[in-house]
Amino acid sequence: MKPKSSIENAVLASPLVIFLLAMLGFPVVLSVIYGFSEARFETIASPTFNGLANFRQVVADPAFWQASWFSLRFGVTTALLQCALGLFLAVYLAPLVRRHAWIVAILIIPMVVAPAMVGLMYRLVLHEFVGPLPYYLNLIFGSSPSFLNIANVFKTVVIVETLQWTPFAFLLFLTAYEAIPKEMREAAAVDGTRPWRMFWRIEFPLMFPTLFAAFFVRFIDGFRVFDNIYTLVGPGPGGSTTSLSIYIYETFLRRGEIGKAMAAAILLFISAFLLLALAQQMMRRRG
Amino acid sequence: MKVHNWLRWLVFILIALIMNFPIIATLMTAFKDPSEVMRNPSLWPETWSLANFATVFTISDRLNIYGYLWNSAVAAFIGAVLPILVAFPMAWAMSRRGYGRAILFPLIVNIRALPLIIFAIPLYMVYSTTGLLDTRLGLGLILAIVNLPLTLLLLVNAIAEVPLELEEAARVDGARLGRMIFRIVLPLCRPAFVTTFVFGFITGWNEFLFGLMLTTRDAVPVTVGASFFFASSGGGVQWGVAASVMVVAALPPLLLGVIMYRRITGSMVAGAVKG
Repeated sequence: MKPKSSIENAVLASPLVIFLLAMLGFPVVLSVIYGFSEARFETIASPTFNGLANFRQVVADPAFWQASWFSLRFGVTTALLQCALGLFLAVYLAPLVRRHAWIVAILIIPMVVAPAMVGLMYRLVLHEFVGPLPYYLNLIFGSSPSFLNIANVFKTVVIVETLQWTPFAFLLFLTAYEAIPKEMREAAAVDGTRPWRMFWRIEFPLMFPTLFAAFFVRFIDGFRVFDNIYTLVGPGPGGSTTSLSIYIYETFLRRGEIGKAMAAAILLFISAFLLLALAQQMMRRRG
Repeated sequence: MKVHNWLRWLVFILIALIMNFPIIATLMTAFKDPSEVMRNPSLWPETWSLANFATVFTISDRLNIYGYLWNSAVAAFIGAVLPILVAFPMAWAMSRRGYGRAILFPLIVNIRALPLIIFAIPLYMVYSTTGLLDTRLGLGLILAIVNLPLTLLLLVNAIAEVPLELEEAARVDGARLGRMIFRIVLPLCRPAFVTTFVFGFITGWNEFLFGLMLTTRDAVPVTVGASFFFASSGGGVQWGVAASVMVVAALPPLLLGVIMYRRITGSMVAGAVKG
């Protein structure tokens, strides 16, 4: 009996495993080979082994650390802002959503538009001559900041990302909020608990695991950001909006330093892997 | 109570306008007359015109919107269907027998947390030697990898919902395993297939980085093609045309998303909480 079902299992698994090996197995091998080799586009077919030289080059590159710092800061800031705004919207709008579910459809629109398109759209929105935002700011306040200069660009991309992805946090919190058993609220209400206290003492702790999940998902997405920043400002003035993804892309395609780009990608993979393991460990401990 | 709801509506309308502002502004700009775009940066067009859209849908020697849309549609379709095909049998084994639950399942589900650039560079090299570079199939294949984690997760959940008694009854009747999976389980998972397909198609359509790196001319998807309209013919960006192309590129996933919002929100929540 047992051998038969293990053969069955292998057959059932085979399409997926073959697909994964074909699509990811080979690239992984290549990553390792090129990560430890000297290669440029002219010599792409014949990489020469050079040990840890690529990694040393990456670690010695200030631009790499600037990009790491940007990604980390961007990921944390945007995740925090999205969770705060999303939590407020979920709790505040929940009574409306209960009676008018279509509200959700309106609020998730930003998420179904490609981030790359959103980046391009903001080029128009923020443009100093044709952009409506500077136009209305000028009309109302008599002046408009230059959103994409070195002083403001970080704030701008943080807001762009936050406005597009807050709906995600909103959705998670809304689901968690509506899943709180009615009896718990009723019991607290009978005891005369005021709404504000009810939120912090009862609802918020119950939603905490969701808060953690939302923060983590949004942090990871912010940490690996590419599309919207790249289409809005590219590497940014003085490389100020170069995320790790953009750094690797530029190293690879713009400068053709294949080995160095690959080494940076491997470092990024390892740090992403560690973050993931850490987060899952924490989630498991919370139960 | 009444006053409170009035405030809630106000907050909703404000936040909806702010979050959707780039889309609204782009849509309005697209309908302005080309001569008006530089003169009138306000949201409201003085004269409504379709001239910008006409320009977008005119094929020039450099820009071909039909090609971009077709490339996106084909690649997104492959990227949405392929993971369902390869993951469905495994999803059954995982759901019913716990097979691969310990290692393969978390391995695949965690793929979606990885920065896509990590895959892009080695794939670029693999593709350039296998002739998949700048093809719709090549783009579709990598989109399938992007969609695989959530597809597997949703299918495993869907199969767990299929009543076990149905499967047992089929087994008692002597149906072979494969037959039972395809005749009994598969039809009952149809709603999950629709959800994963819609979600995968939107994700694939909206993808940018792989389109940017793995295509150059023949298989350029519309997210990348749209950016070509910004760097057009010498004298600066034609903003009206650029706005129109963005409307065209954003419309298919936007309509799908608004129509199917219940399915999409459901799978997003499941994906984040169970991950």
